[in-house]
Amino acid sequence: MPGTCEATTRAMSGAAVIELRGEVDGAAARVLADAYEHAVTADGVATTVVLDFTAVDYINSTGIALIVSVLAKARAERRKVVACGLSAHYREIFDITRLSDYIELFPDLDRAVSQLTGPAA
Amino acid sequence: MTDTPGPDEAAPAEQIGLGAPEAAAPASAHPRNARSWAHKVDRLQPDLREGVRGTNVAGRRLAGPVQGFGKMWQKTYRMNAGPGIAPAEAISIWRKHFSEFWPAGNRFSTPITNITPGDVALLDLRIGGGVKLSTGVFVLYADAESFTLMTPQGHLFAGWITFSAARDGEDTIVQAQALFRAGDPLYELAMPIMHRREDQFWLATLTALGERLGAADPEVEISRTCVDSRRQWRYARNIWHNSAIRSLLQAAADRRKRGNKSGTGQGGTGKDDKS
Repeated sequence: MPGTCEATTRAMSGAAVIELRGEVDGAAARVLADAYEHAVTADGVATTVVLDFTAVDYINSTGIALIVSVLAKARAERRKVVACGLSAHYREIFDITRLSDYIELFPDLDRAVSQLTGPAA
Repeated sequence: MTDTPGPDEAAPAEQIGLGAPEAAAPASAHPRNARSWAHKVDRLQPDLREGVRGTNVAGRRLAGPVQGFGKMWQKTYRMNAGPGIAPAEAISIWRKHFSEFWPAGNRFSTPITNITPGDVALLDLRIGGGVKLSTGVFVLYADAESFTLMTPQGHLFAGWITFSAARDGEDTIVQAQALFRAGDPLYELAMPIMHRREDQFWLATLTALGERLGAADPEVEISRTCVDSRRQWRYARNIWHNSAIRSLLQAAADRRKRGNKSGTGQGGTGKDDKS
């Protein structure tokens, strides 16, 4: 069922976090674009955007294209994008599409944020 | 919907409707469209097929829009197929007869007659001057109302194209949407021509599809957006795989081979006679 994507944004230890819920498909375009703008505007100094897919239960190929658009926009603004909470299936999809060459993947949000803000970051 | 708590305020899992165990584990362990996606492949290994040259695909890796060289473009071709056909029916016809809607002179060969996730299709594309570029595409995704093809290294474009159909009011809108970069610096130089040719190609394809779907006078809308205007110089070396250069060299080598054979009285027709 299209149109069921929702997003919540927050700042967390210097990263702009976008928590996605529901289905990432063509109908998610506006939600994703708005969430990105909201996240980076709310924390103007954030150099990293974390896409949290923990509560996402469906991504189709149009959704993957939307994620690439976010990646392109973030890179143009010199921000890094990482992702977390992907199931094994969608990690494989990120591998096939070679998005994982550019988006670092973390098992969950805590590990993403601690890695990004820890001493080694 | 977006909602922004203040800086460093981490919203608890309950706030977004999840209990702690659900919050710890991804919700998408077994998504309903898992079968619509292809399985991972490191390098493409297609079988040779009749009707296409079949070169420049075997051993190649897939290349998405982030692996290309040039500016990133999103191009959308939309056609109103009218109220007489459901989206799933339109996509079913498109998948089954994909190459029949292509302009003359271009060839597309799949292992079977449908478009199925994981398939590798071999292509011969007319690029002008009597030259055909041999390359391929990988079927990345296919469901009842959409399917997506992804390009291998050496293709003109690094990216993917999604074909979909959806209701808009009472009508069914069919569209092809490509997200790509030119694969290497040579292709990027040729982008003004490639944009024009690509537009002509999909305009002709969608018009033919519209006629098959019963649209009285199918009109195709084209929109183009530059998603990222930067060129990725780290991918300049993609030119090593450039299928246009390789196709030219392969065609020249084949002609020479045929010339040698006829010169020694062996005769015979080369595999490239069809191109």
